[in-house]
Amino acid sequence: MEPGTIQNFNLFLNFGMPILLIAFAYFIGNYLENRHFNNIRKREKELHGYPITTFESLPASWQVGKASLITGNVVVSLDYFKRIIAGLRGLIGGRVKTYEPLLDRARREAVLRVAEQAKKAGYDAVINVRLETSRLANSRGDGKGTAGVEMLAFGTAVTLDKH
Amino acid sequence: MKFIPRNARDDVNVSREHPLVEAGTLVVGIGLIFVAVLIFLIFLVEAVLYFVPEEKEIEMFGSWLPGDLVTVAHDDPRLETLEQVVFRLSRHWPESKYTFRIEIDDSPQLNALAFPGGLIIVTAGLLDEVESENELAFIIGHEIGHFKNRDHIRGLGRGVVLGILFTAISSSDGGATLGASIADLTLRGFSRRQESAADQFGLELIHQEYGHVADAWRFFERIEEGDESFIDLVSYLSTHPPPKNRIEDLIESAGKNGWSVTGDVSRLDW
Repeated sequence: MEPGTIQNFNLFLNFGMPILLIAFAYFIGNYLENRHFNNIRKREKELHGYPITTFESLPASWQVGKASLITGNVVVSLDYFKRIIAGLRGLIGGRVKTYEPLLDRARREAVLRVAEQAKKAGYDAVINVRLETSRLANSRGDGKGTAGVEMLAFGTAVTLDKH
Repeated sequence: MKFIPRNARDDVNVSREHPLVEAGTLVVGIGLIFVAVLIFLIFLVEAVLYFVPEEKEIEMFGSWLPGDLVTVAHDDPRLETLEQVVFRLSRHWPESKYTFRIEIDDSPQLNALAFPGGLIIVTAGLLDEVESENELAFIIGHEIGHFKNRDHIRGLGRGVVLGILFTAISSSDGGATLGASIADLTLRGFSRRQESAADQFGLELIHQEYGHVADAWRFFERIEEGDESFIDLVSYLSTHPPPKNRIEDLIESAGKNGWSVTGDVSRLDW
């Protein structure tokens, strides 16, 4: 192999590959994110008016029929582009704006899953809804650097008897 | 109490700024910070050069050897040849304050290095590839050229600069290594210019010693011809100008000075 070729190859490995990867990650990640957001908006519209509340208890005059624990959990991974930008952000500090949509998607998706299950099972509302996050997915073996966001939503689905 | 259904709001928790705008701002901003830090550190190295003159450097490093150096036996015949070549070449630079020392690093890699305090280290791998004394003399002359321009201190500074940058970056996520690569490449650009200057001085030395510059760039011609036996080519090329450019520069320089490119060369067979 010609030394010039080796050099160009080296240059490509050092600069071309990461840039290409970032570009691909951006376009694919962006497409998937928009698709997910559209899907979330559509389903939220369908569930419009279905009560999901954080009340711990219902007014004493309300008659609860059935009650059940409903959970919805989601893991959304971040893409290479987001990670790179967040890494740069980590050098100087500030809002990690590329991670914000991930958290938003995970939260809304988890709540939607709770609501959809409850509605499908014939419950009238979900009360005492709580949100939890955990960290299962790690980008590195040493446990540093979050590779995704995990969200668990749970609540008590109830049927309300007419009184 | 009345339950009023509301739509979830889309625009509260997610920043409206386009991700590419953020990316652009960050890349440009951090790039500028990097450049500023680089310039500052380069300035710092120059300041060290100014405040640590040769005498001081020799005093500090006169008997220093790198800790990881694997030397060959003291009665190695190659060492004697090397010492002779160094001695003969250094006579043509009488103003030099250095007393040159030369050591062989017993490694298969292909390199010659200049260290503070007048220490030249040549790898055994390089000696295996060298075919004539004149080739060897040019390589050593090149290293002496580094001392003339005090590049060895700059090289040290470069190592420190990169060390600092990499430490700053390894504490954050992987993406920022791109910045470090850019810094590395910039500094390598500097280093290549230093290599060219050292080449010119080396050529001058061997012309004065042998009366001609035959075989000076024979070594690089063999690299250029793509000899398969050159093992560590990639790492060698990353800090040195491409051999083709080097040969062209050397030929041009020899022509300009009217130095003969033919003459007797003494073979080396070890």
